[in-house]
Amino acid sequence: MLRQIWIVSALNFKSLPGRFWQSMVIVVGLAATIGVMLSMLSVSAGMREGYAKAGDPGRAIVISKGAEQEGQSAITRAMAPLIAVAPGIAKDTDGKPLADRTLNVGVPVLRADGSKGFTSMRGFSDKGPGVRPELKIVAGRMFQPGKREIIAGVGARIMFRHMQVGDKVILPDGQWPIVGIFSTGDQLEGQLIGDTETLLTTLHKTNYNSVLVRLSSLDSLTTLKRALTTNPALSVDVMRHSDWYARLADQQTFALALLGYIVGTVMAIGALFGCLNTLYSAVSTRGREIATLRALGYGAFPVAVSVILEAILLSVAGALIGAGIAWALYDGKLDLFGNTIFHLSVSPKQIELGVIWAIAVALLGGLLPSIRAARLPVVDALRAT
Amino acid sequence: MMRYLPLIWSALTRKPARAVLTLLSVTVAFTLFGLMIGLNATFDEMAARARADRIFTNARFGGNGMPIAVAHQIAAIPGVKVVTAVSGIPGYVQDPKNQVFVLMMDENLPKVFGDWGVTEELWDVVRKDRTGIVMSQSQADRWHKKVGDTFTMISKQMKRADGGSAWTFKVLAIGPDFQQVTNGYIFGNYDYIDKARPLADQGKIGEADLLANDPATSAELAARIDRAFANSATPLVTITEKLARAGGDFAGLPIKPITRGIALAGMFMVLFLTGNGIAESVRERFAEFATLKTLGFSDRSVTVMVVLEAALPCVLGAALGVGIAAVLARQIPKLMPPGFGLPLPTMSPMVVLWAAISAFVVALFSAALPILRLTRMDIASALSGRT
Repeated sequence: MLRQIWIVSALNFKSLPGRFWQSMVIVVGLAATIGVMLSMLSVSAGMREGYAKAGDPGRAIVISKGAEQEGQSAITRAMAPLIAVAPGIAKDTDGKPLADRTLNVGVPVLRADGSKGFTSMRGFSDKGPGVRPELKIVAGRMFQPGKREIIAGVGARIMFRHMQVGDKVILPDGQWPIVGIFSTGDQLEGQLIGDTETLLTTLHKTNYNSVLVRLSSLDSLTTLKRALTTNPALSVDVMRHSDWYARLADQQTFALALLGYIVGTVMAIGALFGCLNTLYSAVSTRGREIATLRALGYGAFPVAVSVILEAILLSVAGALIGAGIAWALYDGKLDLFGNTIFHLSVSPKQIELGVIWAIAVALLGGLLPSIRAARLPVVDALRAT
Repeated sequence: MMRYLPLIWSALTRKPARAVLTLLSVTVAFTLFGLMIGLNATFDEMAARARADRIFTNARFGGNGMPIAVAHQIAAIPGVKVVTAVSGIPGYVQDPKNQVFVLMMDENLPKVFGDWGVTEELWDVVRKDRTGIVMSQSQADRWHKKVGDTFTMISKQMKRADGGSAWTFKVLAIGPDFQQVTNGYIFGNYDYIDKARPLADQGKIGEADLLANDPATSAELAARIDRAFANSATPLVTITEKLARAGGDFAGLPIKPITRGIALAGMFMVLFLTGNGIAESVRERFAEFATLKTLGFSDRSVTVMVVLEAALPCVLGAALGVGIAAVLARQIPKLMPPGFGLPLPTMSPMVVLWAAISAFVVALFSAALPILRLTRMDIASALSGRT
């Protein structure tokens, strides 16, 4: 049986060049479908990756109870030291806990195209660099605690205007100079960082937004959580940093990904009709060949399989072309959605998804034509001119 | 032209499966086209409807709003006609997943946003009963509320004076949805929450929206407001509505290039399909065309016939597709999570026109090669079946 499938399919594939333009309908249909879908998904996938990189499982974030975002959370000055001394937090070389009191404030910026937008301005306390060792200064220097200085991310430098070393950003109490550019490899790169205490004073705020801590080990989260949630002086939630960002990514990318799938589905339906059309006419073009094979004793099943295999071959080729175009155009490109800067992504996982869609379209589109091929009346087909 | 119709009809019905599948594929591509270009039309319309004299003012930092005194100070700035203070209660209904935002407005709301559809009558409802709210139809549907029901929400961010976080309102009226407010709205009376908050939180508003006396100088007025508050305790960021809507982008994504790209990809997809269909159909009937030419049909009339044969499924598919898009457009908000705020595509005359143009372009491109072959055919060899 396998041998028959092999022979019939090989014969079929050999005749494909003769039906080149006809076959291109399937290839182009799937290339357009998968190209568009993966281009759209590159936004949500890229954002997800940016968040995933930012969320180190070796860190935990402490926010006020029930807060969904950092902006909704308030940690008072009285609470912060209680959080820092809790068990389960790693110690710095100076013996102090690696707990960073952070701020997250919206700051208006000019986007590169001149439109107005917002980005996050973060406050780092003395342990900020220790908690986030991935932060590297790539130009200029680190801000000095107590001074009105800020550093900008490499993404912010490109996507916003006036974000070079030496530029000034309008903040309360005057303009703050940018003294350095940092990289982290995640979505923090679209933001600004300054000194927490200095920012608190100038913003007339009294509360931190969160405390970010480095866990002494991956398993010490339970210890930390128990200590903080049972402390009657605190009303906080503790989350692993990676879980926190995974949830944020879900909130922010769900609708966007859904749009990508909706457009992908509509286009796939269009491609499906094209696929059906092409395969029906391929079956009728191959009528003689199929009838001859059947007359020679080949079964109906290998004939049917050869039609489906042709559909899969052409669809997958189209999907790979579409994915290749999406990848070449968008993968790794710096982009902005909402207030988040990230790199668009067409990853192998996305491409795999595109190929699976193509196979699904091929199976649906190939089924009816393959049945027609299998049931082709041998004598009539042979007699036809 | 009409006399060709029977010939074209018989050509199309010769292989009904091919004709139907082609039509379906074209219809799907134009459905997508309608949704995408329709979305552009909506963004254009929103930009066109943006009032030149309306200005939005927000606190520059922190996102914690501003004292209501700032709104009063802005009202006193020369060139400002009227200011409305906009506040709101962020929170959720039952589960933190069900996010909701109740706007708390003052009596100038209908003056500043009358063109959106906020009438004095609508405002009058919450002016008379401060414990009540007005809901747009879409919000009423979302929370399954009707006039007279009670609406309860939890707000972690805005506490009540008694320390509680549950806010309860009576639904006084269901208002129409406004095109400019894509998520629908719920609004109440600012006086109510102000009195119900702890003393320390009273007198705080979210933003101030205003109308300028002279639309021509509103950009200058916006800059003047920012300058006036630059060194105050509450620096502001002020933007005219025209500027805010001008980019036509959605949360930073450039809508137009994206939607056009998708529509174009769809057209490209059907171009191959229709082009192949018509080429195949002409190839199968090569001898017939030779007969027609022998009978005295000119190259021109043969060309017209092939173009019409290609155009029929394209135009029909375009009409069906845009029609389906118009129906589907209304279902999109139900698919999207609440709060996403993507506006509805509109099937404006421009969208229909572009769909028609695209259909003809696709038909012309599809028919071009077969026509070239037909006009260059050698009638004698075609009739004898030697090609």
